[in-house]
Amino acid sequence: MASVKIVLPGDIIDTRREEDTTQQESNVEDEATVIRLGPGLVQSSEAVSAVTAGVLHSNSETNRWWVAGNKRRYVAAVGEPVVGVVVARHGEGYRVDIGSAHDALLPHLAFEGATKRNKPNLAVGTVVYGRVVVANSVMDPEIECYNSNTGKSEGYGELSEGFMFKCSLGLARRLIDTKAPVLAALGNGVPFEVAVGVNGRVWVNAGSVATTILVANAIRNSEYLDAKQCRQMVKELLEKQ
Amino acid sequence: MSRPDRREASQLRALNCSLGQLNRADGSAQFSAGNTSVVSGIYGPVEAKVYEEKLDRAVVEVKFRPDIGAPTTKDKWMESAIRNTFEREILAHLHPRTLVQIVIQLREGDGSVDSAAINATSLALVDAGIPLKCMITAATCAVLPDDTTVVDPTQEEIDAARSTHTFAFASGSSTGPLYVDSRGDFTMDEYNHCYELCALATERVLAFMRTAIEGKVTKEAKISAA
Repeated sequence: MASVKIVLPGDIIDTRREEDTTQQESNVEDEATVIRLGPGLVQSSEAVSAVTAGVLHSNSETNRWWVAGNKRRYVAAVGEPVVGVVVARHGEGYRVDIGSAHDALLPHLAFEGATKRNKPNLAVGTVVYGRVVVANSVMDPEIECYNSNTGKSEGYGELSEGFMFKCSLGLARRLIDTKAPVLAALGNGVPFEVAVGVNGRVWVNAGSVATTILVANAIRNSEYLDAKQCRQMVKELLEKQ
Repeated sequence: MSRPDRREASQLRALNCSLGQLNRADGSAQFSAGNTSVVSGIYGPVEAKVYEEKLDRAVVEVKFRPDIGAPTTKDKWMESAIRNTFEREILAHLHPRTLVQIVIQLREGDGSVDSAAINATSLALVDAGIPLKCMITAATCAVLPDDTTVVDPTQEEIDAARSTHTFAFASGSSTGPLYVDSRGDFTMDEYNHCYELCALATERVLAFMRTAIEGKVTKEAKISAA
């Protein structure tokens, strides 16, 4: 797609492609392809319409269409890594606030090497890094702090010390998906560890309080900066330290 | 006959909007037409209280705050009118047992407040990423004592008018309006004339909103692509 197509809610999407228009004489039923609608698109009778505003994307191999837009409120989806805060302890697990409409359930045994006699004891207020296992519109979400197939923690679990802050979902995805320039630039300057949740929460831990705050501010500032501006911004922050 | 601010009869005031200014809200928009300025903030989907949650859809709640003083019955009426308009267009079945809260603050009122509130809420819902069936745009008309009809009246024009009419339409839809508020003495011809003028005015408001949203999305997309 050469040009960027921005859609608004209510816009009807034309899902035919430029190549299809040359085959208009052929039988439509033979050529019917299944189109998969991702976030931001719904089917209303025969037409496909957008329900959120954003850039319209499509993948010609898988015939997937979706709308990419930024927002701040997280809606849980299975398989996504999230950073949460324990808000309550129950008989069967912890209640963790992951930013979605309902708090997620984290079973007591969903940790590496946990048995009935040997369970981790998390206090209310603990920051955890987990993976969403159950997420649909009718149930409360559930997370686990280990990979249930291998039994290893793989980075999930309790995050101790450090500082957690919130950011937009788009920034969180960029920090995870791409080689985010702000994290690379910071990594050249100061040692720190970071856990990014697609629910718009980022946990940072550096040697001292001042450095942790510097790293958190740098990540927050990078929302609308491109790679070059990111490096410049990080350079200025490190010099001021 | 000339209007106090020397506009044409069907001319809207200068439209202005900004998206995402409230950093604690999930979405927000400020919309102004001339001196009338409204801010709308959206929180949602968030957890609904057990006694007000609906098992199959999201609950939509609207709070309208006037510019001066405490909310009165008129503001409560506006809240329920706006709620009825948006409840049908928000895809609430995607988020059962949740709440979408719309908080509207009137910053300055100079006529056509209800259409500004609807436009601001439409933009704010888009900013929050709440799924909508369509964009909702609104415009107000007033029939003056000398039988002329003016679009986007100021408060001065509304005070002098024989009747005022606010219409809200769904974008791209040829079915009737989503919201109609007519006050005063008027004939069916006057009503129909106002309907047509408002339909044209809302198309212009929609084009303005499209430009504003495209600006915001382009800014975000450029960074993602970089």
